[in-house]
Amino acid sequence: MAELRARRYRRAPGEPVSTATRESYYGLPVIHGPHWHWPIVFYFILGGLAGGSAVLAAAARLLGGPPARPVVRAGRYLAFLAVLPGPLLLIVDLGRPERFHHMLRVIKLRSPMSLGVWGLIAFSLSAFLNALRQAVDDGFFGRSNRLARGFRKLPDRALAIASTVPAFFLAGYTGVLLGATAVPLWARNALLLGPLFLCSALSSAAATLSLLLARRSQNDRAEQALAQVEFLALTGEVTLLEAVRRKSGPVIGRPLRRGAEGRAFAGARATTAAALVLHGLALLLPRRWRQRLGLLASILALAGAFLLRATMVFGGHRSADDPAATFALTRSDE
Amino acid sequence: MKGPAALEGTTRARPGAFGFLTDTTLCIGCKACEVACKQWNQLPMDDFGFTGMSYDNTGDLGATTWRHVAFIERISDREGRRPTTLAPFQSNWLMLSDVCKHCVNAGCMEACPTGAIIRTEFDTVVIQQDICNGCGYCVPACPFGVPALSPLDGKAHKCTLCYDRLKDGLEPACAKACPTDAIQFGPVHALMDRARARVSELRAQGVDARIYGDQALGGTGGIGGLNAFFILTAPPEVYNLPAKPELPQRRVLPAFFTTALAALALGIATLFSFRRVGRMHHG
Amino acid sequence: MPGLGARLGRGGATTTLASLADSDCIVIMGSNMAENHPVGFRFVVKARQRGATVIHVDPRFSRTSALADLYVPIRPGSDLVFLGALVNYVVNHERWQTDPFFREYVLHYTNASVIVSTDFRDTEDLAGVFSGYRAEQRRYDTASWHYAGQLHPVEGERWPCRPLVEPERDPTLQHPNCAFQLVKRHFARYTPELVEEVCGVPRELFLRVAETILANSGRERTTAFCYAVAWTQHTIGTQIISCCALLQLLLGNIGRPGGGILALRGHATIQGSTDIPTLFDLLPGYLKMPRAVPEHATLAGYFASERPATGLWYDMPKFLISLLKAWYGDAATPENDFGYTFLPKIGGDYSFQSILTMMEDGIIKGLFVMGMNPAVGGQNARLARRALANLDWLVVRDVHEIETASFWYDAPEVRNGEVRPQDIRTEVFFLPAAIAAEKDGTFTNTHRLVQWHDKAIDPPADARSEAHFVYHLGRRLKELYADDDSPAGQQIRALTWDYPTTGPHQEPDLMAVAREISGYRVADARPVAGFHELADDGSTACGCWIYAGIVTPEGEHRAKRRRGDERASPDWGFAWPANRRILYNRASADPQGRPWSERKKWIWWDPDQGRWVGYDVPDFPATKPPDYQPPPGAKGLDAHPGTAPFIMMLDGRGWLFVPHGLVDGPLPTHYEPWESPIPNLLYPTQPRSPVAPVFLRPDNPYHEIADPRYPYVITTYRLTEHHTAGGMSRWVPWLAELQPAGFVEISPELARELGIATGDWVVVETARGSAEARALVTERVQPLTIAGRAVHVIGMPWHFGFGGLATGGIANELAALIEDPNSLIHEAKSFTCTIRKGRLREGKAP
Repeated sequence: MAELRARRYRRAPGEPVSTATRESYYGLPVIHGPHWHWPIVFYFILGGLAGGSAVLAAAARLLGGPPARPVVRAGRYLAFLAVLPGPLLLIVDLGRPERFHHMLRVIKLRSPMSLGVWGLIAFSLSAFLNALRQAVDDGFFGRSNRLARGFRKLPDRALAIASTVPAFFLAGYTGVLLGATAVPLWARNALLLGPLFLCSALSSAAATLSLLLARRSQNDRAEQALAQVEFLALTGEVTLLEAVRRKSGPVIGRPLRRGAEGRAFAGARATTAAALVLHGLALLLPRRWRQRLGLLASILALAGAFLLRATMVFGGHRSADDPAATFALTRSDE
Repeated sequence: MKGPAALEGTTRARPGAFGFLTDTTLCIGCKACEVACKQWNQLPMDDFGFTGMSYDNTGDLGATTWRHVAFIERISDREGRRPTTLAPFQSNWLMLSDVCKHCVNAGCMEACPTGAIIRTEFDTVVIQQDICNGCGYCVPACPFGVPALSPLDGKAHKCTLCYDRLKDGLEPACAKACPTDAIQFGPVHALMDRARARVSELRAQGVDARIYGDQALGGTGGIGGLNAFFILTAPPEVYNLPAKPELPQRRVLPAFFTTALAALALGIATLFSFRRVGRMHHG
Repeated sequence: MPGLGARLGRGGATTTLASLADSDCIVIMGSNMAENHPVGFRFVVKARQRGATVIHVDPRFSRTSALADLYVPIRPGSDLVFLGALVNYVVNHERWQTDPFFREYVLHYTNASVIVSTDFRDTEDLAGVFSGYRAEQRRYDTASWHYAGQLHPVEGERWPCRPLVEPERDPTLQHPNCAFQLVKRHFARYTPELVEEVCGVPRELFLRVAETILANSGRERTTAFCYAVAWTQHTIGTQIISCCALLQLLLGNIGRPGGGILALRGHATIQGSTDIPTLFDLLPGYLKMPRAVPEHATLAGYFASERPATGLWYDMPKFLISLLKAWYGDAATPENDFGYTFLPKIGGDYSFQSILTMMEDGIIKGLFVMGMNPAVGGQNARLARRALANLDWLVVRDVHEIETASFWYDAPEVRNGEVRPQDIRTEVFFLPAAIAAEKDGTFTNTHRLVQWHDKAIDPPADARSEAHFVYHLGRRLKELYADDDSPAGQQIRALTWDYPTTGPHQEPDLMAVAREISGYRVADARPVAGFHELADDGSTACGCWIYAGIVTPEGEHRAKRRRGDERASPDWGFAWPANRRILYNRASADPQGRPWSERKKWIWWDPDQGRWVGYDVPDFPATKPPDYQPPPGAKGLDAHPGTAPFIMMLDGRGWLFVPHGLVDGPLPTHYEPWESPIPNLLYPTQPRSPVAPVFLRPDNPYHEIADPRYPYVITTYRLTEHHTAGGMSRWVPWLAELQPAGFVEISPELARELGIATGDWVVVETARGSAEARALVTERVQPLTIAGRAVHVIGMPWHFGFGGLATGGIANELAALIEDPNSLIHEAKSFTCTIRKGRLREGKAP
């Protein structure tokens, strides 16, 4: 209620209280918004990064051959390291963190969060095993001792294949999770948020891997593959950002235009569009420029991914607090 | 699909479902329901202060307010004239005792990842406090803004429809306290029959009455009806209620479907990109 | 109370709340029933569901108005013009003049046909006063108001105690001096146009109300009036209420189901606190407290002065002597007037407002305050607190540490340094009190219904019930005075005080108290069945004759019964007197004893059984036939014919014209409130009540009529969420959060003029003090056009004080000490003020 009071608009002298109920109920929200803040924003980013990396690592492992091995290595490690903070962020975000294990009591197919918990567990396991397998190949357990021999028995290709479904799930389910609520900004865009987050996950993973592998010139072809994936994912991302903007419309889309969230959204669109353009440009230019532009594009793509998640989460707060948005979403069409 | 008129006064409440009919036309805004609820459930006092929102200093349902009386002053007409002839029963100063709707298909329950939110033998929706871990997903999943997390214990809370009282054969505290029987408790189907008759009677007397919580209004979009439903005399938005909400989980499957399509597309694209790498190597 | 008592015989609601469900039209005026009597209001809602019309006449659109069919905004303090205009409308209406029902009812059941003395002069003759006005003493000599043909009463007699000579009557109601014609003439200028000018009610709206009321009165239909303290709390409050009684008599609604007048009283058991009174001038059962005058020196003198020859009060000796036997037991004998000398005699106006001034002037040294909060709830609350600060000792018993107990360290004048605690020499004792659920006892609700409540839980720590406190105080006083032979000592020693106690804290057994109240035969302690078994020879004892019989001979307390039904519910609780639910219900049958209609039957004469039968206990001698004519010289109820429903009245009739019993006039007359923005348009030379008691003191300044410094009308009132002076609600979190701060309701028109927005701080000021509050700008309050100009009304709930969780400025600091001359109740419902945006600066005195 304290927040509600702070939100009270200015009243003009002589204005009766009835004027405050003409358009809405004293400007009070219709629904309750989520309580998620930066921990969840970072979880989304890291989850996307992890999922995207795993997909890239798997594709590289399956079809990329030896030139793509750095991608496989970096991808698998990145997938594992990026997902590590995830459960911690989620647990800390709980109202009763010590009860986190209650999530494991049930699985509910219609609850994206329930599926997400199990999906996160599945992915974490898969990322761990993939990383372990990779670590064995990289000699972290020595070359010929019993541990290394044991771990080498893990089926490398199978692990890569098995990681794809959990990876895609982790990268995109958070969009579905947002859409399965009453928050107008999310609900209106329910069909678009999953694909959007997926594209962003893939583009940010590709961008990160590009940045990580940038110095080694022998990865030119792998780099190109990454740049290509990034380009395609960015295309999807730019398209879907525009689709979200249009689908939201003037009322529900207000958070995308106003305030800090509006600026973040504009930033997300600008950086992803710029990244896309730079990638396109890079294709036309000689290799030296291509590399530099590519790296710049990757940085912009990462910035875009960050701004996108921040916009969506905090924009959701704004949207939930706007009664006009809820009414636009749920208006009777009579 | 049935048209809206055919859905008026219908509910998909299960046999044996119990709930509320809150008939705002009988409400005098006394807030006995708010106090009885707090007293029975030993809920703490909320944030404190004069809001200037007519006589509503409570503002909203929350973790520690499970009945909230809303006040909407509609004293003057468009020309600023104050009326002296009033519509029968409650009019011109609308008062509504808001409560958890105990939806036939409940967004909060479907969202809950721990199974803390359950449907009881009375078909009411209850949050089990020994299981809830405060993930907060039920909060935005409710189309009506009912559950909330409590900063005092980190868990989600809402009206239990006095589950403990029902188990002992007593009616909920708010229904018991309501002096004009605006809050009526009973089997949902019987209450809906009563509501239909009451709405007809009101309309015959010139009152613009409607049921909120049947499948035509309020209990729409897969929600299937509200076990705690209302009779209103103005569009729902006036009372800060959504007219035609949707059960949010209806979007889960379609959203996963589009996401899967995107995954497929991106997956194929990714594979192709790396295939060229492999090819180039071998080639 | 005197308002209804003077015209009908008893000062209480004439009907039950449940009977409202049988009404065809309910007029709620001077009351915000839904907010202050929400449970009773359920019956108004029921009536509405059965098709009744609900009319709410009120300065503010409140939660009651929201449920009404017709809302009539009215200027506070102008109610009597409205009611008088209704009287005028009715008696000049063709239907009223031709429908035989009205003629029969009025002719037989009221004193309409009585011819009044030719000495009588109306306010219309004397420019605003009645004959007999003594201007210097500000009182009336009522001698000229008597009936023609009656013995001239001795000066100073309160009631005519000589046998009444049957007054001259004109059954055609044409005689210019008959009561009916006097009423007609008196109200002739109360026209719809006057209502529009004085009340601010458009004439068409007034006529709508009048038509509706008349159309819903008669054989087949009844109209009920519900009123509360917005009628009582005026300098003409008694007359406003009395005017309603007059109107309802003319309409034939008294004594009939769905009719009557519901006096909505303010607390859960305030009816009980006047029945067994905490009022200084009453003994239990509405016997008059004896005064320190020669006539009352002996019991015989008292009866000679007070006991009428006719009506139920003829049995007064039985009631009083039984009371004295209950109080003084063996110390009450025929030889010593049954202990009459032990009774204190009153020497003046010791009403609440007078007590405050006596405290401030050092006359009263000590005070017990139990369940009251004068520091917030008293008129001129600053004066009240100064008065408290001037006592030697003060005992406050309450559930919370209310302002009356904490004023000495926490009042605004202490906080801002004006007053220092060390300069207050009052020794303040604060004793925690038990709440209702922590003790046994009864409540007597607004329609005389007594209901028992069980103790549910022990009070915490040192909290104790009132009964415990009073009992042990009395016990210790008796021990203290055990050897004292002075008159004061004898008074204490003579009291019977032998209630058994129970439990570890020695709680007095309330059933023993109940048995004493209910009455018993002294010889063998057998309970009496009712007040008809009381005797005047000392053989019976009864603590309150109107409650006689509430404990059955088998020892069951009838207030514990809980079997209800669709009509009178005689087995739910006990309604005094004698479990009669609708008073004066003889009037529900026609002069021949038949119901006026099938739809509105209640009780009727059964010739075969030779008694009155029906849905209720007859408020009438059970076997007196309708055609009974009293023989000459008959006494008591035998002096009334079989067509006299008002058994407490001298002649058994409801009085349209009141020759005795009201000190400010036999007919209700409009005067402006003591503080008003406009002059009295009816009587320009007599703007205010000629006899209202005033307190001319420097610390109680009044505003002039149309005082330009205080141009707005202010009315104070309650909200559902809080209780009176807040002692039981502002400390309770669940209630405090519902209305957490004091506020003032003003119209958008006034707010625009003064630049005030909702939520702004405003200061309301009068010559007595200032109070600050938040503003609530709402169309529910509106300016009214009075005598051609706009008059603004400000509304302020008076619950708030400086203690507890919900705080706010004290509205009663604005009000002045002033009384209604009959009831001695204060005028809080309309006075004048000014208002400005801003806050009270700390340290700034008004």
